[in-house]
Amino acid sequence: MIPAFFRNLFRDLVRQPLRTFLTLSGVTWGTFAVILLLAFGTGIGKQQMKQFRGMGQGIILVFPGQTTMTYNGLPKGRRIQVTPDELELVKKRVPGIRTLSPEFISSRNIRYGREQLLNTVRGVDVPFERIRNTIPAQGRFINETDVRQHRRNCFLGATIAKSLFKGMKPVGQQVMIEGVPFTVIGVMIEKDQNSNYNGMRDTHCAFIPWTTYMTLYGEKYVQNFIVQPGDPALSKQTIAALRNYFGGRLGFNPLDKDALFVWDFSDFERQFNLFFTAFNIFLGVIGSFTLLVGGVGVASIMLVVVEERIREIGIKLAVGAKRRAIMWQFFAEANCIILIGGAIGFLLAALLLTLLPAEQLEEYIGIPRLNPLVGIVTVLILLAIGTLSGLTPARRAAATDPIVALRK
Amino acid sequence: MIEFRNISKVYKMGEVEFVALKGVFITVRQGEFLSIMGPSGSGKSTLMNIIGCLDTPTEGFYYLEGENVAGLTFDQLSTIRNRKVGFVFQNFNLLPYATAYENIELPMLFNGKKAGARRQRVSELLEMVGLSPWARHRPTEMSGGQQQRVAIARALAMDPPIILADEPTGNLDSKSGHEIMEIFSRLWKGGRTILMVTHDPAIAAFSQSTIRLLDGAVQQDGAAT
Repeated sequence: MIPAFFRNLFRDLVRQPLRTFLTLSGVTWGTFAVILLLAFGTGIGKQQMKQFRGMGQGIILVFPGQTTMTYNGLPKGRRIQVTPDELELVKKRVPGIRTLSPEFISSRNIRYGREQLLNTVRGVDVPFERIRNTIPAQGRFINETDVRQHRRNCFLGATIAKSLFKGMKPVGQQVMIEGVPFTVIGVMIEKDQNSNYNGMRDTHCAFIPWTTYMTLYGEKYVQNFIVQPGDPALSKQTIAALRNYFGGRLGFNPLDKDALFVWDFSDFERQFNLFFTAFNIFLGVIGSFTLLVGGVGVASIMLVVVEERIREIGIKLAVGAKRRAIMWQFFAEANCIILIGGAIGFLLAALLLTLLPAEQLEEYIGIPRLNPLVGIVTVLILLAIGTLSGLTPARRAAATDPIVALRK
Repeated sequence: MIEFRNISKVYKMGEVEFVALKGVFITVRQGEFLSIMGPSGSGKSTLMNIIGCLDTPTEGFYYLEGENVAGLTFDQLSTIRNRKVGFVFQNFNLLPYATAYENIELPMLFNGKKAGARRQRVSELLEMVGLSPWARHRPTEMSGGQQQRVAIARALAMDPPIILADEPTGNLDSKSGHEIMEIFSRLWKGGRTILMVTHDPAIAAFSQSTIRLLDGAVQQDGAAT
């Protein structure tokens, strides 16, 4: 029965090549569209997320600002200023903080031999590496000893290292920052980053211990500080606790949003994820409709086939086929067409994705990939469409009156 | 074997009713070879369809091997058609794109016979109707007589006790027609019950007895002339 079924199916498909081609191409195109849309959709989402995480993962950026509310008799418009010492206390006194780092930022002259650049210098603490993903490709990041001893060590972004050293090994060399010699202790990996604050992106920055920064440039107050909460899902509570704490210490209303301006990345990330999930569902739905049109094509062709083979159906019923057998035959045939078309579409899409010069596009749209999820979703859509388009013709075929059919 | 008690068949086409059979009584014993004659429109085909369980009577009782067929579902009737009845049609009704082999195999595909058993049965039948060299040919490559022999082999595939033939020689020249009738005679002598519709008295002469239908009623039941 099974080999006979495939023999018949093959015969049907070959007997009318043009019709087969048109029917299959509808399904093939639909599958192709679904896979490409989903692959590009997830690719873009992943790439955006990756660039987004270039800033760090689930972090809270806090910028001390100006009060806009009076508080306990204090006027509005006061500057709020935070010292690194204050941050040491915050770590201990505010719940829900895993770690934090102060940050000082300014533009400085950086020179190596004859190469001179004006780039951003960031004075930071040791946890900055984990919080902001400034991972070394060579050497290391700033450590505790650097901070304690106010060492003149610096960690360079990949681009700045390339511009200064032109392929030479930077680690162990001396660069001049505002005429003061610093030893290069490490170079950051190249990373994508699609958002930033104050100064250039990390790849253009030089990082030095915050203690060194304070001594050299005479700064007392941090530009901002970065908090990594213990649980990013609880970032809102952590922020409220921070505002409460600083409100009490520095004298401002904890509800005064501008006294401490906060940029909550984990909240951003949640919205971001939500957006891309919705985006992918939208793409999937569009693709499914394309596929649905292909399915309608298969259904109408199958109805014609049933009409054409009415005598065959009559003969089969006369020699003892049950209605179920007839129904199954046409249902399976419709599904086979859908699956063959789907397989071709799948292969074409896979081929295109392999041949696509993805590296050149990666920065913008990421690398579209055929991940298992895309595969599973496509197969499910194909099965649903196969069922929908096979059912009507199969029912029609099974309802044939053998006497009428044999008379034709 | 076959017993009709007061069988009527009425077709309704909108408001118009067409009575194809009215109160027919027939009894066919096992091993009988019966021809059914009558002008067109006399109800021969309806009678054959009811006997072959392709159609159901509007009234009356039909006992096939002692079982009342009237109350059965379509799928139960399918099983009866498969096991107990073999059809031979005037226009052969072979699947045009399938080979002789596949056509003969067809009834066996609907009750789960093993591939080996099917292969053996098909070659036996091809041998019996003298078409072994034609197994891989399609009906379009065969003469009418050969096609009808394939159809007979198909009717015998499940080894049914009853063969129903509707004008089996109607589309054939007289020589091929005689060859076909010789096969039927052989089958009858082998113990099968055969019912055959025909116009041709020369063909009816091969049978044991004849009934005549006129306007849906049995006119005469007697020995063949």
